[in-house]
Amino acid sequence: MISMIKHDIKIDESFYKVEEIRQLTDETFSLKLPRARFAFKAGQHISLGIHGDYQSREYSIYSGANDENLEVLVKEVENGYFTPKLRKLKVGDLVEIHGPFGKFGMEPHLALSGKFVFIASGTGIAPFRSMVRTYPEIDYTLIHGVRYSNEAYDRHEYASDRYILCSSRDQKGTYNGRLTGYLKNCTFVPETHFYLCGNSDMIFDALEILKDKGFERDQIHCEVYF
Amino acid sequence: MNSTSIKKVAFKTLGCRLNQYETDALVTDFDKAGYQLVGVDESPDVVVVNTCTVTNQSDQKSRTTISQAARANSNAVVVVTGCMANNFKEKLESQDNITFVVENNRKSSILSLVDAHFLGEILHPNQLPQDVFRYEPVQKSLHTRSAVKIQDGCDNFCTFCIIPMVRGRAVSRPVAEVLESVRKTIENGFKEVVITGVNIGRYEDGAARFEDLLAQILEVPGDFRVRISSLEPDGFGDRFVDLFKHPKLMPHLHLCLQSGSDKTLLRMRRMYDVAQFRKTVNLFRSVYPDFNFTTDIIVGFPGETDEEFQDTIDAVKEFNFSHVHTFKYSVRRGTRAERLENHIPEKIKTERSAQIRELSEENKKQYLNSFIGKTQQVLVEKITQGIANGYGQHYVPVRFKAAGVQKNTVYTIRLTEIRGVGENMYLFGELND
Repeated sequence: MISMIKHDIKIDESFYKVEEIRQLTDETFSLKLPRARFAFKAGQHISLGIHGDYQSREYSIYSGANDENLEVLVKEVENGYFTPKLRKLKVGDLVEIHGPFGKFGMEPHLALSGKFVFIASGTGIAPFRSMVRTYPEIDYTLIHGVRYSNEAYDRHEYASDRYILCSSRDQKGTYNGRLTGYLKNCTFVPETHFYLCGNSDMIFDALEILKDKGFERDQIHCEVYF
Repeated sequence: MNSTSIKKVAFKTLGCRLNQYETDALVTDFDKAGYQLVGVDESPDVVVVNTCTVTNQSDQKSRTTISQAARANSNAVVVVTGCMANNFKEKLESQDNITFVVENNRKSSILSLVDAHFLGEILHPNQLPQDVFRYEPVQKSLHTRSAVKIQDGCDNFCTFCIIPMVRGRAVSRPVAEVLESVRKTIENGFKEVVITGVNIGRYEDGAARFEDLLAQILEVPGDFRVRISSLEPDGFGDRFVDLFKHPKLMPHLHLCLQSGSDKTLLRMRRMYDVAQFRKTVNLFRSVYPDFNFTTDIIVGFPGETDEEFQDTIDAVKEFNFSHVHTFKYSVRRGTRAERLENHIPEKIKTERSAQIRELSEENKKQYLNSFIGKTQQVLVEKITQGIANGYGQHYVPVRFKAAGVQKNTVYTIRLTEIRGVGENMYLFGELND
């Protein structure tokens, strides 16, 4: 009888309390929520809404699939509708989550046997942090394009020989300039799989560069941020 | 049905093949339960409107259909279901001319709801079971060919598309259930089944993928043909191409390109580029040179430049689609594209749409022309004024004199000329003795 009652109880898992807010730069912060029973694959995204607001936005999950928390990375858009509201959230406030969604990512067995290049602009680094935390043994190089080097979010979590920072507006990156400039001069082994995440202009330019280098479209996986 | 008088039911369906299939299954349900199937202008006791919400135009058509059906049958039970019922549930529920609003995942139980109503029971649609595969195999249909539903929902979240919100997440029907449904559909007399769903290429039941299921469907005993409804152009290889060597599988695919511009495809969050699409088309045509491809194109997607649109024109020419279902982009509330910049003025969308339609007609004429002097196996769907109408294996429309010809039967027709214009263009032929 007790088990029957337990089965009949339906817990609404779509609302989560904000547990921590980590300020990463003046504009960028992360929201940490309890992961509870939320299951996802590294690379997937969620739809995030604010309790009482009819709108929602999509965010790639920033935390690993086995982490204690579910975390998203947010950059405040000046005069935007949604991100300034996220910025005002406090610990204990409720957010609504739907998902996970998307097929951006790799099968776990491939994560341990393949060779990967992750290419991100700005907060497009989010799914790659999730992948690296989920598959600590993964063989990857992360090329991260930002404007200023302080946007190298949680840089210390990546091995220094795997993280390439391309900063276009200061001289503190591994490469000083746009990531596409860096990418043009790179060579990669033929079996490499590329994962691209960020704004559509970067992705389109990077796609062309990789195709010019002879890589098949099937080897290039994209997640567009707008 | 516990009633002394026979109740009459009418159906109106808008939108996709999946909706048509679900209506056909409901028709079977009501017919088996003793209801009489009538038109909406024949004083039905029940009107079921199965709506669509894929574009603004679909919304408008759905609203008009509901209003007309309700106005003409003010004493009837009016049931509104389909994707618009999900997308505008509260608004529809507040309308006095609608008796019940039933969401997609409860659509298969509409008969129970209506029966309960006539028995004086108070049953709210929310109390109906949720099951998107609960439909009986089609027996009584509004069409000659019957669809078989193998999948529902979509996880792709293309930026323009409302479907994941109104059809839900992707779910696949178990292989055994699909095969049983195909068997029963054939037993019910259908000569052609259409494999349908929202995103059938992503079919997944345990280890079985779409190709595995299709291979098993083709081995179901019986004299029938198999068609595949619209398909997303990702992830097909040699095995899929090989399956078309099977005589039951018809050489036609509706492969949704949406745009011929890689930049637009990226903004749409499609999972392929034009080169991958080309690879698939070329792979098929290298084995089956006369294979028929049709497609969907969205014109005027936010940010679509003249150059990007020209890429689409070029693609439609290159791939020789015999038909292009052209949609003018329309904002769907809550989708990502709603918030994209550079929305295209309606006038430009209309101009672009006209260009694609014109090209589609040229392609169709060219494709139909390639069949003159050849034969097609035509399944007769209807006979009007002594002329039989049907489709050949390649999904080309064919008409011929119907003397001694029966509906729902396949005939070999020698094609002699093209008749009609535009959308109504067809091949005319004669029985090949």
